[in-house]
Amino acid sequence: MLLIAGVCKRVCPLIFYSFEQLIMTTSSANGLTLSRRKVLIRQALAKTGTGALFLVAAASALIVLFIILYIFKNSLPFFESRGFVEFFTSTRWYPSQDPAEFGALAIFAGSLLVTIGAVFVAAPLGIVSAVCLSDIINFNLRQWIKPVVEILAAIPSVAYGFFALVVLAPFMQTHGGHFLDAIWKLIAIPCAFLAAMVLGSSLSGKVKEKTKRRLYATAYTIICFAVLLGLIQYISGYLVGIRISSGTNALNVSLVLAVMALPTVVSVSEDALQSVGRELREGSFALGATRAETMLKVIIPAGSSGILAAVLLGIMRALGETMIVWMASGNAAKIPSPIFNYLEPVRTLTATIAGDMGEADHVTGSDRYHVLFAMGFSLLLFSFVLNLVSEKIASRQRDKLRGK
Amino acid sequence: MREHTRKLFDYAFTGLGIASITFMVAILVIVLVPIFARGVQAVIFKGTVEHRLLHLEKFSHGDEDAIRAEYDEALKARQFAWDMLDNFKKDLKAMPSSERGHYRKEFADVEAIFAELMGPRPGEHRFPIVRMQYGQNRWDRAQVKLHELMYYEQWTYENGESHLQYLPRKDLFTGTSLEGLFDYTESHLEEMLKPKITFYWRFLTDSSIDAHIFGGIWPELLGTIYLTIGSMLFAVPFGILTAIYLAEYAKEGMILSTIRSCISTLSGVPSIVFGLIGLAFFINYLKVSPNKSVLAGALTLGLLVLPTIIRTSEEAIKAVPHAYKEAAMGLGAGRWFTVVKVILPASLPGIMTGIVLSMGRAAGETAPIIFTAAVSVGQALSPIQALSEPTPALSWNIYNLCTEHEAVEEIRHVQYGMVVVLIGVVISLSLIAILMRARIQKKMKR
Repeated sequence: MLLIAGVCKRVCPLIFYSFEQLIMTTSSANGLTLSRRKVLIRQALAKTGTGALFLVAAASALIVLFIILYIFKNSLPFFESRGFVEFFTSTRWYPSQDPAEFGALAIFAGSLLVTIGAVFVAAPLGIVSAVCLSDIINFNLRQWIKPVVEILAAIPSVAYGFFALVVLAPFMQTHGGHFLDAIWKLIAIPCAFLAAMVLGSSLSGKVKEKTKRRLYATAYTIICFAVLLGLIQYISGYLVGIRISSGTNALNVSLVLAVMALPTVVSVSEDALQSVGRELREGSFALGATRAETMLKVIIPAGSSGILAAVLLGIMRALGETMIVWMASGNAAKIPSPIFNYLEPVRTLTATIAGDMGEADHVTGSDRYHVLFAMGFSLLLFSFVLNLVSEKIASRQRDKLRGK
Repeated sequence: MREHTRKLFDYAFTGLGIASITFMVAILVIVLVPIFARGVQAVIFKGTVEHRLLHLEKFSHGDEDAIRAEYDEALKARQFAWDMLDNFKKDLKAMPSSERGHYRKEFADVEAIFAELMGPRPGEHRFPIVRMQYGQNRWDRAQVKLHELMYYEQWTYENGESHLQYLPRKDLFTGTSLEGLFDYTESHLEEMLKPKITFYWRFLTDSSIDAHIFGGIWPELLGTIYLTIGSMLFAVPFGILTAIYLAEYAKEGMILSTIRSCISTLSGVPSIVFGLIGLAFFINYLKVSPNKSVLAGALTLGLLVLPTIIRTSEEAIKAVPHAYKEAAMGLGAGRWFTVVKVILPASLPGIMTGIVLSMGRAAGETAPIIFTAAVSVGQALSPIQALSEPTPALSWNIYNLCTEHEAVEEIRHVQYGMVVVLIGVVISLSLIAILMRARIQKKMKR
């Protein structure tokens, strides 16, 4: 039915178009003016054409309402027969047993865990990259970096999932603590170095003599760096001791999800930073601020709502992703103990839908089938709310920058 | 000094930014390099004579006489080993039963592994399963099998921890006539299998044999092409018309903003939910096909890429200079005539960019086709069959081969090859889009 309607809607404007052309050619043969009847026909055609176009546009907009309603309708039978309490509060997920148990709390927790993990990695990295991309590196370099972001975004999720399962998981399992240690050091040492430089310089600020000051600054820098290195080494000693019993765990999934969500965060927050405009930047530079101060105190606060929207979009991507989680999360429907233990396997909403539907489809109409729609509806609700919020934030930023 | 500190802080800030960009590029390299490095091995590898024989017999590729001659040569080298096996079998029969029991299981293992390595002997009964009709096709797999033949595994327990040890199998047969087999096989493996660098470009155009253990990925590639083109057939007309309405006809107001926010919500719907809708609505309710089919999958993917197409087309249409429209209107053209004859041609490159981008998206998506279009094993379909039959597709089969296949380790090269082909398709589509966009921007600047 939908198909036929779609075909009609697509064909109709084409017919109108050929009519219109017909009338135009005939009218030009008669001279420049059209007869009254032809004018009427043309007006009617234009009206119906516009109407048809509106229908098409409305249909593509209504699809989303239809999806929400349809998923909701299909999830109702589950709630009718099982109620809400078990689904949201129990952690026992045994849909194929007799009697079946449908406690999805652990699955919600799994989704939450990997999403938070992914955003925790993607948001800082993405925002710093966006700042660098929009204001620090020059135009020519940017022309080369932007395709990198786009290629990261274009790589299909199943390829990321394959990487997580076949490359990263065995690597994590065999190298365990050393892998964590390497990541930690890779991030911490450069940061510590930069921090020590700034700290050393600011600590020696009180010294008046110039030659002495430089000496003090170097000394302070070295001391700070040594202290920070000691701290890093202390933590890495703890990290090296960790043994990862299974490479398919929440950490693995979070890292790969972060890579997948990164391009969204980068490109949307870069747009937000760009839309702040030249005037604010130039004003800040004219007052003598350095680039770092301009960015941190003027541009990022001005674009903060856009950046927030970018992070929300990143959350949405991570939450709705299926293949990576399904392949590399281990799919164990239990809450890790303690809850923030990222080295244990988890199971998420999307992976549960993907994994269980193959079997549940044979029993269409049962609780087992409808519970998956209930999960889909929860997912939809999350993404709907996130989308609404991010849209509100983005439009508020637009208004703010326009000076309303 | 405060000034100095500020300057240093500025440098540190710049350093942090550049470090994070470098990190991002490094991530791309880390993800792509291992996949590409191993994916290439699906096409370029050392193939044994068994590989050439299989392709001669199953696909009639290659020069028959040359391959047969080579195979006969290899058989001669193998015959020596087979004779050794036969001799030991005879010895085994002559042994007292107490000793025979000692050797029987080990000998069965050796025989089985040797058969896997070399394939059946000429004239021996051929099993219907293809993987039992041929020896190892690839030299790297042959090396693995050789290791299996040379050593046996033993688990030892020490301080509550278990260790895996590889012990030479030769030691099990010391003093028997079989002892020589191991050294002979190790030193003569090249003569027995005749490895040769093979450039197997037909990986892309061959069907798979025996669940992807042999052959190529053509059915999967074709399925992905069908799904991508099919989804475009649904999404493009719908999307462009909607974009025309939004950009040219609609007046700002409640309705327009509602439509817009609906479309942006649609773009945020998780892909697995599209899969649910495809299954529950298109297949179970509308029954567009009795079961999974390319048609249902294409419809579902069409819904998925619709918002992207609408948004990019709308932007492209809006980017057309107003002067074009005013000139056309001034010449007396109607609104629709202006849109079709002036605005659409002018915005076509932009619209095409959006279409190419969403083709990449549709080709790579897996979740929406799991329940609507994808099967694990299948043949290449004709376009008519695609209306009612499911198809294997690259994205789904990558998942399937690396998680559910019975011999995951043996077909690693196929998995990597598939991933490389899929990434290659998707990245080349998005590179085309990037280049098109760059050209448009250049044009705009002029």
